[in-house]
Amino acid sequence: MTGLTEQWSDALAAAPQEPAPAWLRELRENAVGQFRAAGLPHRKVEAWKYTPMTVFDGLRLTAAEPVPAPVADLPPPLCESSVVVDIRDGALGEVPADLPQGLTVLPLATALERFEERLKPLFEAVELRGATRAFAALNTALATQGLVVHVARDAAGGSAAGRLLLRWGLSAGAAATMGQFRLFVLLDDGARLELVEQYLGSGEAPGDGAAGLNVLCQAELGAGARLSHTRVQAETEQAVLLTSTMLEQARDSRFVYRGFDLGAGLARHELTTRLTGPGAEADIAGAWLLDGRRHVDNHVSVEHLAPGCASEQFFRGVLGGRSRGVFNGRALIQAGADGSSVRQSNANLLLSPLAEMDTKPELEIYADEVEASHGATVGQLDEAAVFYLRSRGLTDGAARRMLTAAFCRAVTDRVADPILAERIGGLLDAAMPSGEQL
Amino acid sequence: MDKAMLKVRNLHASVEGKQILNGLDLEVNAGEVHAIMGPNGSGKSTLASVIAGREGYEVTDGQVLYRGRDLLELEPEERACEGIFLAFQYPVEIPGVNNTYFLRAALNAQRKYRGEPELDSMQFLKLIRGKLEILHISDDLMHRAVNEGFSGGEKKRNEIFQMAVLEPALAILDETDSGLDIDALKLVAEGVNRQRSPDRAMIVVTHYQRLLEYIVPDRVHVLSGGRIAASGDADLALKLEEEGYSWLAEGGIQALEGAETGSGGAGAAAGA
Ligand SMILES: Nc1ncnc2c1ncn2[C@@H]1O[C@H](COP(=O)(O)OP(=O)(O)O)[C@@H](O)[C@H]1O
Ligand SMILES: [Mg+2]
Repeated sequence: MTGLTEQWSDALAAAPQEPAPAWLRELRENAVGQFRAAGLPHRKVEAWKYTPMTVFDGLRLTAAEPVPAPVADLPPPLCESSVVVDIRDGALGEVPADLPQGLTVLPLATALERFEERLKPLFEAVELRGATRAFAALNTALATQGLVVHVARDAAGGSAAGRLLLRWGLSAGAAATMGQFRLFVLLDDGARLELVEQYLGSGEAPGDGAAGLNVLCQAELGAGARLSHTRVQAETEQAVLLTSTMLEQARDSRFVYRGFDLGAGLARHELTTRLTGPGAEADIAGAWLLDGRRHVDNHVSVEHLAPGCASEQFFRGVLGGRSRGVFNGRALIQAGADGSSVRQSNANLLLSPLAEMDTKPELEIYADEVEASHGATVGQLDEAAVFYLRSRGLTDGAARRMLTAAFCRAVTDRVADPILAERIGGLLDAAMPSGEQL
Repeated sequence: MDKAMLKVRNLHASVEGKQILNGLDLEVNAGEVHAIMGPNGSGKSTLASVIAGREGYEVTDGQVLYRGRDLLELEPEERACEGIFLAFQYPVEIPGVNNTYFLRAALNAQRKYRGEPELDSMQFLKLIRGKLEILHISDDLMHRAVNEGFSGGEKKRNEIFQMAVLEPALAILDETDSGLDIDALKLVAEGVNRQRSPDRAMIVVTHYQRLLEYIVPDRVHVLSGGRIAASGDADLALKLEEEGYSWLAEGGIQALEGAETGSGGAGAAAGA
């Protein structure tokens, strides 16, 4: 056992058992055992090969206590929203009681009773064995803080303009904790929800210490359900952010994901969706803009398990300074999932000779009549285009920024709401790497 | 003040270690239109690139003065802001950058440089409206990404349109006529002629005499072997059309009656 695994195992053993149903207490004990047995992932674990594990040193494990919300100093909401929930350092703030018809938002502890039948199998479905699952095990063992979102059959989670905004805040500094949070999104047949998550810092000046967060999200989309999920992450360099989203999509459901990673010292996002019913669709797009010594991992996996499903993974990355990006895009078309369409593309721009990008598309096709395309590139700005713009009067810096912004626009253009798209575009402009080395 | 807009003296330039320009001399005054002709590969675009400041073109000897200043010291964007414009032989496609947005950004960069207020989009649209019409540039082209998917003619008209908006003091048009049908050629020529003015100079690089029927130059130069081999008035272009360029290879400048030879040119001794 390495030092950190040992330290965290001890912390897990010492953590007080929260009141919970017997099956969950048992599951948590099992998770503690699994973590102790397998330990944290290391460089030899393929899926974690590039993730710098040293950033976790000095982070303590805690079970966060709820803090009263609203927290005044969180950055303003990224978009108008009928429901805003704040989650600060992994602790859930106040959950609004007055919700649109059909929408239920409850703290995990409260929801466990009401949605036990649906939550129990979801809890049990999470693989906890092995080093690659260390953070899932940690989350299961410790995440007493959580949120359950439910949209009733054929309802929209809010009115026309309604969406649910999760506003995360991570305060750097003395605490140096690794918070754990659990999120469930349950969409009944025909239900619709627009979920926006913002990770835009705590609103306070960044401290010296690191601050960590480990979020595990499970979503269930019933037949014909629609989930639009936008995630914008521009944390400070002190932030260590692990997020894992696991979806199950029933027949004719549609999942639209738009993710932007502009910050954090380390951000690792795992997104897995299983298309279990015919005609299900996953439209997954994202971008990262990294500078300094930031590191962003995106691991996307789409499993086509039924015929006639369609999926797309579309990612663009811009890397400056000494930043490092990792993209692992997997698509599996299982035998019998005939007539599937799968597209995958990841293009990257390196603005600095010290930046690095590892991109790996993995297509596994075992079905017939599959329409598939994939491509991954790592390149530089087109110098002929830079000169063209400069010859018209734009400075070298302005020309490069204009071309880089245009490169990213391929993703922001896919954000359906024009106001949100523009705000995200503004954040991208502000995060534009300089290309200068640090 | 010296009325010379551009003075090129004994210019030697190389690309990737290959010597292309070998002692080129050229003087262009405000108000004048000069044509530069010459066979493929003679260095016409190289000269244009050196003036515009493209990277990779190494000046090994000689100087370029623009309004009395050493041009070669300036960054490409400074040259643009000082009034130099190059209409590219091969305009670059820039995916994702909107044509209108790009041109307004360029104009505002130049205005800012000159200490003038920037234009908002309404003011800009007002400014370009008339110029769009002259060059038959559709709204569609302005809404698309710069040059992306444009036809050859659309790209060339877009270049001249940019020139009309940026109003340079010295414009270099690098084979703006190539690939154009006669109607497009007339449009481009009209766009150019409207911009002839006493305080603007133009260098029109062309491979064919045809363009010069519509843009009548004050001076015509023949570029060969990296230097000006002959200079003359507009009639020189006609003679070139009849005789072709083969005489250059033979060094027989005297074949072209009435042509002055370039300084130190191949046929200097044989000048008529
Ligand atoms: N970027 C470059 N790299 C290598 N050779 C070049 C480059 N640009 C021009 N040349 C060479 O320089 C010579 C002159 O080219 P150019 O100036 O384009 O001629 P013109 O415009 O008169 O046709 C040609 O032999 C061409 O191959
Ligand atoms: Mg040329």
